Amino acid sequence: MNQAFLFHRLRLALLRNSWRAAFGQSSMRPLVVVLCSLVVWGFVFAISWGGFLFLQMEVGVPMTGDIVGILLDLLFLSLAVLLIFSSGLILYGSLFSSAETAFLLSKPVAADRVFAYKFQGAVAFSSWAFLLLGTPILLAFGIVGEAPWYFYFFLPLYFLGFVLLPGALGGLGALLVVNFVPQRRKQVVGLLLAALTAALLLWIYRIVRAAPADLWRDEMREAVTRLLSYFTFTRSPLAPSHWVSLGLRRVVRGEIGSALYYLALVWSNGLFLYLMAAVASAWLYRRGYNRLSTGGDLRRTAVPPTVAPATESPNPPPSVAASPLRREPWVDRLLYGALPFVHPTTRLLLVKDFRTFRRDPQQWGQILVFSGLMLLYFTNIRRFVENLEGRFQNGISFLNLCAIALLLCTYTGRFVYPMLSLEGRKFWILGLLPLRRERLLQGKFAFSMVGGLIIAEGLALVSDWMLMMPGEAILLHALTVAVLAAGLSGLSVGLGAIMPNFRESDPSKIAAGFGGTLNLVAGLLYLLLILGSMAAPWHAETILESTAVSGLIPKGGVIASGVILGLALGGACVILPLRAGIRALREMEF
Amino acid sequence: MIKLDRVTKQYGTKTAVHELNLDIPSGELFAFLGPNGAGKTTTIKMMCGLLFPTTGRVLIGGHDLRREGDRARQLLSYVPDQPFLYEKLTGREFLQFIADMYGLPRARAAERIAEVIELFELHEFVDDLSERYSHGMRQRTVFASALVHEPRVLIVDEPTVGLDPHSVRRLKDLLRQQANRGTTVFLSSHSLDVVEELADRIAIIEHGRLIACGNLKELRARAAVDGSLEEVFLTLTQHESEPANRLR
Repeated sequence: MNQAFLFHRLRLALLRNSWRAAFGQSSMRPLVVVLCSLVVWGFVFAISWGGFLFLQMEVGVPMTGDIVGILLDLLFLSLAVLLIFSSGLILYGSLFSSAETAFLLSKPVAADRVFAYKFQGAVAFSSWAFLLLGTPILLAFGIVGEAPWYFYFFLPLYFLGFVLLPGALGGLGALLVVNFVPQRRKQVVGLLLAALTAALLLWIYRIVRAAPADLWRDEMREAVTRLLSYFTFTRSPLAPSHWVSLGLRRVVRGEIGSALYYLALVWSNGLFLYLMAAVASAWLYRRGYNRLSTGGDLRRTAVPPTVAPATESPNPPPSVAASPLRREPWVDRLLYGALPFVHPTTRLLLVKDFRTFRRDPQQWGQILVFSGLMLLYFTNIRRFVENLEGRFQNGISFLNLCAIALLLCTYTGRFVYPMLSLEGRKFWILGLLPLRRERLLQGKFAFSMVGGLIIAEGLALVSDWMLMMPGEAILLHALTVAVLAAGLSGLSVGLGAIMPNFRESDPSKIAAGFGGTLNLVAGLLYLLLILGSMAAPWHAETILESTAVSGLIPKGGVIASGVILGLALGGACVILPLRAGIRALREMEF
Repeated sequence: MIKLDRVTKQYGTKTAVHELNLDIPSGELFAFLGPNGAGKTTTIKMMCGLLFPTTGRVLIGGHDLRREGDRARQLLSYVPDQPFLYEKLTGREFLQFIADMYGLPRARAAERIAEVIELFELHEFVDDLSERYSHGMRQRTVFASALVHEPRVLIVDEPTVGLDPHSVRRLKDLLRQQANRGTTVFLSSHSLDVVEELADRIAIIEHGRLIACGNLKELRARAAVDGSLEEVFLTLTQHESEPANRLR
């Protein structure tokens, strides 16, 4: 039997059985997943539709013109970069460090067949987010641009052809890195990511610097033209992302011949690159597997542990009370010493989680990139707003707070929720430790809370300072962020303990699973409630002060009530999920 | 059937296997012993084509694993110490997948699958997803899949770990039967009683070097011990571990 067909049948059987196992028992689960996806999809669609409509109706930007073209170029270029890295990393994991490939490579199966099978899985997994977030944008573009019916037929064809390119590049990258720099593969990927981030930050910085302060007020054709010149690199005639953008705009214009040309360009290059990757895998896959298994790994030197035994004694011995991490790295000692009010055992668990997190650049790298981008935007915002009226500053400050809250929600959903599940099959080791099981959750809660507070409070402070917000707003925002960090941490840690997934070792897959999605939805709801009750009244009141209806609003009372309500909500979202999580953990069998 | 010709394997600067020569004919049950980290698993992985020798050649049925890997792997089955099953496949689907992978015709595959289900008594759970299997059930399914295409070489790494006495007995009978039918069985194990009972020849490896190879009688003579395989093994490996001997 043809091996390609065999792998195709294997995938179908795995999908069918997984579907039955996941959804066969209850119709609630698929319903929640579909509903959540629809909510996110609908939200992105509404924003995109409104945005395109605004550009077309208010600003007079044609949908098939250069400005929208740049937006589409940027969308596809950023998607390509994300797909190169995500499919490369997923392929690296599944080709070189999974039990399945060791099993397959011991069978009489061609290396390029295994590569093809894994490639399809990696590209499908890494591009699902585009389906959820990209399709509503493109559909909104088509609707606002009054695209002909065949636009919606061309759309999936362009998408399928396009994902082959970054997927194949990612796969080629993984094969080459493992074959030629097996001992430095993590450093190479880290350097590439750092270089990419630096280039992105520099580019954004230059755009911000180039933007005139009164861009939003007057017609500034020259300034806009200058600003657009910074985007010319996205419009290179050799960039596949540009072919997709051009092709889709041609479809909207009804130029089918030209659209087919760009479609053929995308597909022929995608298939060619995929063929290159497959041929390379026939030569390099087994060789790379061998290289990685025999000396590819760097031996990591870690300081030998000198942690004193964790005890539940009410009077811990002096050595524990002082510092059981005397010879550990300074950051661990700093973290341990910074929280004297937390029980020593909980602090040791917190340090363990921090150490695990710190040694996984894939985890903190993402936080660093997002926080860095946000910080860059905040530090340059004054240039835009110094000529704006107070109410705009007020509104921007609230939007910035919303963005920080979203970052917190992502951090807890993506990194904190999977933490307990990641203890995996070795969880029984923690289960057997001479400590109360609630300490495990308290440790993870403290870790999440401290990390969230450090990032979010810093960002909120910079944002408010740059916007020259009054002291009471700064205080209110700081309190809101603290309540958000506490509640989101409580939800993620609690739900993570109630719905653990000990079979999965990939945190992104745990976060994307049913429990992770539920946690994300709960987090978003909590975020809306807290922002609505604690921060929104102050901003609304400040804006309305200058209007005729200001007299109708009871000043102070609404804000105070909102803060009290927010604090109560925050408390409930810490106590209730943690209590339920502790109960689940106590009843857990290993 | 299995031939290792001056095989050396290096992990960076460390030599895991050094100038190893083995020649194992068809129908022999060959046991491979050694302390932890001696190079057993590395040798087995080279015999399956998962790793390549730094120098030397591994031949299975006359096919060089490096140059004719797929032909060589067509002849063998490997049961690792931590066997792999697709969690979301049933035992029957897994057996079918393996039969298809080795290119068994449809009718022959159905026949063989029915035979191994019977042989390993898989009836009760073969249509359940393997994620629900116990360790013993998994081990039986993996052995069934290893034999479904009637390999000429069966390589088994630590097969008795976690099995109950009944299963161990059944496994020992099975390995003996396979060897009697002409299959070359390469068994790596720390269960010296199992090896003593089953093996036609025994090789002992330490620090990547073959320190002894022969039947039990020959090994006893080499160790100058007239006792069990355990005593022979301990004497030989202890002797080889002494600093003076290691420097030779």
